[in-house]
Amino acid sequence: MSRRRTAFGRMPQDGGGSAAAFRPQLTSLVDVMTILLVFLLKSFSVEGQIVTPSHDLELPVSSSTQPPKPMATLEITRRAISSEGTVIAPIESFMAQDSLLIEPLHKWMQMVRSQARDTLKSRQVLIQSDKAIPFNVIKRVMYTCSRAGITDYAILVLEQQ
Amino acid sequence: MSVGRRYGPGPCTPSEAAENAVELDITPVMNLFIIIIPFLITMAVFTHVYVVDFGVPPNVGAGLDQSQGKPKLRITVVLAPEFVAVTHGDKMLDSLQAPGGVPPVDSLKACLARRRMQSDIHDEVVVAVRDAVVFDNVVKVMDACRASGFVKLGLSSAAEQAGEPVP
Repeated sequence: MSRRRTAFGRMPQDGGGSAAAFRPQLTSLVDVMTILLVFLLKSFSVEGQIVTPSHDLELPVSSSTQPPKPMATLEITRRAISSEGTVIAPIESFMAQDSLLIEPLHKWMQMVRSQARDTLKSRQVLIQSDKAIPFNVIKRVMYTCSRAGITDYAILVLEQQ
Repeated sequence: MSVGRRYGPGPCTPSEAAENAVELDITPVMNLFIIIIPFLITMAVFTHVYVVDFGVPPNVGAGLDQSQGKPKLRITVVLAPEFVAVTHGDKMLDSLQAPGGVPPVDSLKACLARRRMQSDIHDEVVVAVRDAVVFDNVVKVMDACRASGFVKLGLSSAAEQAGEPVP
């Protein structure tokens, strides 16, 4: 009786089918793993990511190649201004008012500056804004930050493919 | 000549030849993959983010410095939903239509590269934006300014009549 391989590599033993060894074909799995390995090696980053974009906004695309630095962050979504997940002011709460100053944001920025002890870092702010936000909102945020003593601004952008 | 002789010296059928073929033991390779792939997934960065630095122009807001007299004029790019204008002081240098509300980035780059050397300050530009312009278009214009050789960007708001094209 000849030993014949089945589709899954099962080889019946001479003594019967009860002690059959199951040997799956791993070639296709190794192929997938190799492709996955190459893709992950391409995406590998030793530095990691200092800034994580907020999930509820769509960042604009830019050709900039300047990496972000750690600094105070403001997120401007279509609904609210927030910082590190804490909602500071809903958009509707200040868009109707004549004054450019956003009071809750002003207090927040003053608190952030006082915690940073008025160093150079305390005068910088990183703005993460949704790309569909009108400049009217950005202007109010910048004015409020400027009143709180912020002098240097940066905007977070996605890499241009 | 029988078919079985093509696979080896001895008389054997194709199935027997396949059975006698050497099979590599790839279990250690699979073990390595199983260890290295979760590690790489944790260290992978799928979205690359960068920053664009800018400041408040020196003749606006907290940056106002009156100790050195009148501030020098800088090239100003006025961005409105319908057009983009390049101005220097009171002079309108260029005006470009923005079809569909999207600024013509390539034309703007060419204009700015041409006008840059005409200004006293070659590396600074002010982008003045009207309220209705969406943020994405602001970033596109800032990119065009940087691509034209301006390394320092100032961002301010534009008055509703500023940079209006002359009919």
